[in-house]
Amino acid sequence: MEKIISIANLNYTYPDAKQAAINDLSLDIYKNEWISIVGKNGSGKSTLTKLIDGLIEADSGTISVAGQIINEDNIWEARKKIGIIFQNPDHQFVGATVEDDVAFGLENQGMPREQMVKEIDRALELVKMSDFKKRDPQSLSGGQKQRVAIAGVLATKPQIIIMDESTSMLDPDGRKTVLNLVQQLRKEQDLTIISITHDIEETELSQRIVVLNTGKIVKDGKPVEIYDLGTDLRKYGLEEPFSSKLMSTLRDTVKLPEGYLSEEELEQQLWKLHSNM
Amino acid sequence: MPGDSIIYRLDPRGKFLLTFYFVGIVFLANNVASYAFLLAFVLFAVYLSKINFGFFIKGLQPIFWLILFTVALQLFFTPSNHPIWHWGFLTFSKEGMVIAAYIFIRFVLIIFISTLLTLTTTPIEISDSIESILKPLKKINFPVTQVALMLSIALRFVPLLVDETTKIMDAQRARGVDFGEGGLIKRIKSFVPILIPLFVSSFSIAYDLAIAMESRGYKDGEGRSKYRVLNWSKRDNFMILFMTVLTIILLFLRSY
Repeated sequence: MEKIISIANLNYTYPDAKQAAINDLSLDIYKNEWISIVGKNGSGKSTLTKLIDGLIEADSGTISVAGQIINEDNIWEARKKIGIIFQNPDHQFVGATVEDDVAFGLENQGMPREQMVKEIDRALELVKMSDFKKRDPQSLSGGQKQRVAIAGVLATKPQIIIMDESTSMLDPDGRKTVLNLVQQLRKEQDLTIISITHDIEETELSQRIVVLNTGKIVKDGKPVEIYDLGTDLRKYGLEEPFSSKLMSTLRDTVKLPEGYLSEEELEQQLWKLHSNM
Repeated sequence: MPGDSIIYRLDPRGKFLLTFYFVGIVFLANNVASYAFLLAFVLFAVYLSKINFGFFIKGLQPIFWLILFTVALQLFFTPSNHPIWHWGFLTFSKEGMVIAAYIFIRFVLIIFISTLLTLTTTPIEISDSIESILKPLKKINFPVTQVALMLSIALRFVPLLVDETTKIMDAQRARGVDFGEGGLIKRIKSFVPILIPLFVSSFSIAYDLAIAMESRGYKDGEGRSKYRVLNWSKRDNFMILFMTVLTIILLFLRSY
């Protein structure tokens, strides 16, 4: 598999902080994968996002994006390859209307207007927000705002999308729509998704989970492997997923196969038990 | 206010400048004919906008007391040789009544025309016009595009900050702050617990927005293209011509 982001021996300490926010971290992220970075508050996950996008400068170590080590000279080129969707939909809306906001990234690139019109239509079509083109952000729901934010990022055709707790302020419906949309876009547009979250439930669509604690990677594996840690996840300030919690409670009374079961597998097992009764 | 009429479709730059121009020439009017002429023009423009007349009356409301005060001042303090009624320093005369009426009409004209501008032009269009009008200042290194972006972001964040204020007020009310009670000083003091959290949260929003803008490739405002374009059309030229004719007629009526 082709590496798209490669981080080597990264260190970062906030000014005036005693503890390092990122502590000798190395990580490879592959093209077209959906990787979730989880950890409690202060584990360094948001700091990592800012370092990848060059919004803050690392004390030591290197980050390469699409084969190029980022430095002060090529950071703007690297940023074109990365789009970030932030947590609060209201705090990232620059434009006065939906179309103006999607245009912002393109305006920054100095794209001619005729081309911009096409790109904006394409991006809004991808997130199914074309009907809302002329609306002002205040009239949209949280989920719709995040979809516009995604369109704003897609318009500039990035290769990587970082979701920095992007669904944490949405209601369950909004969250589901946004996550499914991102999954679909990842497949269709060959995107790499890095999703940063403290909620383990949000990692269900990812292919790989990295657990971060005090600036270090403590676990790196497939979702099944991570969910299988069960109560051990609490050490890193994370809740175990609902199905895993349910399973450990059930195991006290009924016999279930070993290891982690996905929600569907668990459901099947429960049906089996039910029909045997 | 959303809508569609010839006034809406005019180029905001033209509308913006002509509104200021009109406010200027209102002061040229000096007799019944010229005031009547300007009033007829404004009412015609209001009619063309297809906006409910009630919105224009509402525009007068905020400065109702100022109008009343100024009119009263003219009514009772205009010196006259043939007062109808006289008491101490107060004089009530025909001249005073005429001047008071002029002042009143002047207020109405200015408020109506500026309400017409704000009702038919979105804030973002006004900010675009200001950018376009200030463009020559670029020559003396005045950061026109940055200021325009600042203005449009400020406008965009007004509703968000209003929401934020309501939230903070509710939170403080829940802690027992009473905003509507007590004397003036007490009421002013009760706003401190709103302003400070509002300041703090504005800074955190600004920080988030700055990060988001930078991540979307905003450097320093140079080399950016523009998505919103203003189109100067024939009807805008016509508007200028119309205003010129209006001025000439006004000058004629003035010396009539």
